[in-house]
Amino acid sequence: MNDTVVVDDVSKSFGRSRALSGLSFTARKGVTGLLGPNGAGKTTLMRLLATVLAADSGRVRLLGWNPVYDRLEIRRRLGYLPQEPAYQRGFTVFEFVDYVAILKEMVDRRARHDEVRRVIGEVGLADVSGKKIRTLSGGMRRRVGIAQALLGDPELVLLDEPTAGLDPEQRLRFRALISRIGENRTVLLSTHQTEDVAALCERAVVLKDGRCVFAGTPEELRGVARGRVWQSPRRAGVLSWRTGEGDFRNIGSPPADATLVPPTVEDGYLLLLDGDKVEAAV
Amino acid sequence: MSTAWHMDDELAADYARGRTGPTLAASVEAHLLACAACRGKLAPEVPRARLDRVWDEITAAVDAPRPTSFERLLRVLGVPEHTARLLAVTSSLKPAWIAAGAVALLFAALASGETSRFGTLVFLAVAPILPVAGVVLAYGRGADPAHEIAFAAPYSVVRLTLLRAAAVLGVCVALALVIGLAVLGDGGLMAVWLLPALALTTLTLALAGWLDPLMSGGAVAALWFAGFAAVAVYEVRPVLFGSVGQLASLAVFAVSAFVIFIRRREFS
Repeated sequence: MNDTVVVDDVSKSFGRSRALSGLSFTARKGVTGLLGPNGAGKTTLMRLLATVLAADSGRVRLLGWNPVYDRLEIRRRLGYLPQEPAYQRGFTVFEFVDYVAILKEMVDRRARHDEVRRVIGEVGLADVSGKKIRTLSGGMRRRVGIAQALLGDPELVLLDEPTAGLDPEQRLRFRALISRIGENRTVLLSTHQTEDVAALCERAVVLKDGRCVFAGTPEELRGVARGRVWQSPRRAGVLSWRTGEGDFRNIGSPPADATLVPPTVEDGYLLLLDGDKVEAAV
Repeated sequence: MSTAWHMDDELAADYARGRTGPTLAASVEAHLLACAACRGKLAPEVPRARLDRVWDEITAAVDAPRPTSFERLLRVLGVPEHTARLLAVTSSLKPAWIAAGAVALLFAALASGETSRFGTLVFLAVAPILPVAGVVLAYGRGADPAHEIAFAAPYSVVRLTLLRAAAVLGVCVALALVIGLAVLGDGGLMAVWLLPALALTTLTLALAGWLDPLMSGGAVAALWFAGFAAVAVYEVRPVLFGSVGQLASLAVFAVSAFVIFIRRREFS
């Protein structure tokens, strides 16, 4: 068994709002993408895996440890980039990463500074390590966040929507960086960008209303929509939008004059989210 | 700066290995700044390991965070470097907050300097709450923008909280002592609020296991002011600062410290 993350029938509520509802999935070494619309429970799940939150019920195992009893052991092997991380005003890149390094129990000054330089170099920020974080672009700030997550060479890295709000060029750079990070670690990447999952991830998990509605490879996610995506001159089906070529891409029942087209990961994802409507229309 | 002469192989090798004296080395360095040919001759002579070491030392010196004056003071007092850095980034230990605390205490002390009963009461009401406010600022969500990252780090949240609270308490007490003795010269008045301050600060931390630090601090402050107002109606130096009050403060401190200890996991 080489599952490094095991989530089994986990539920979590905030007051009357149920964020996770009997969620189960597993992940292993490599990059696993957590897909889901806003409110699906992705951030709650990431915070739970980061040991910042505790589950109301269910079982979680991270790197073989139980977060209820072995929180410290997990935190020593964890790198975590929260959604929209904030940084102390006035900190330079080096100072911020150094601050987190101290929180990660790196006591020896020289060794700690060597490690800080290493992770700053790994995310390509060596040239701006002395600059104030507030003067950096959004993409560079995200890289600062990733740098701190890589401190101590963690076995498990949690990245909560690291590519949100980035321009296409920055996203490409991020994909290269995350792919490199995932070569020898377990990386869980929360996103609602299906292109990121298709380009980066060995496995995908789709969340909807706090439940797992799919777990498999991106190719299997694409396969969910196989035989159900059509191109036609007219709008039809439940999910339908105009493409750049002027035709309509339809998911669901085949309209007249329609041509069956190969599905994308996004088609499979959309079908999972709106599958009920599509099934009803077929 | 002379380029009329050039280094021969022997001089280049001696300089690269640090075998020249300081005067000759300074002369060589001045020459190297102006002479590309000699720089080219020297480069292959410098041992790679030495070059890497020197470069590491340069980057370490350039990158390393500059310790603030507060951090340097902590180091002088024997606080380890990494702990001093954690304390130095605490909001309520920044000069602006310390200055604000000093001004608040100064006004309280000046009011107390008036022989009126009101002046004494203002000082005694404000002084114990100042460390509570400092602790709230030291460890609230607003105080540390990166709190989510800090929570997921292995460093003990209880230890971090207590460290920051102790530092804030220390700074507040030092401020109050300096201001009180300078303005009032009343050692008795200065001493009576210390134990209540410790009790209220510890109670704030204990309640922070259930509530947000801002809420726990607010609740403690409201409780303190309500209790203070209730007894201050009758007494110039309220019973809260007498022997009964001091014993009660000690009890609150002990219970709060015990609660923090048994609920230490909840802080994370």
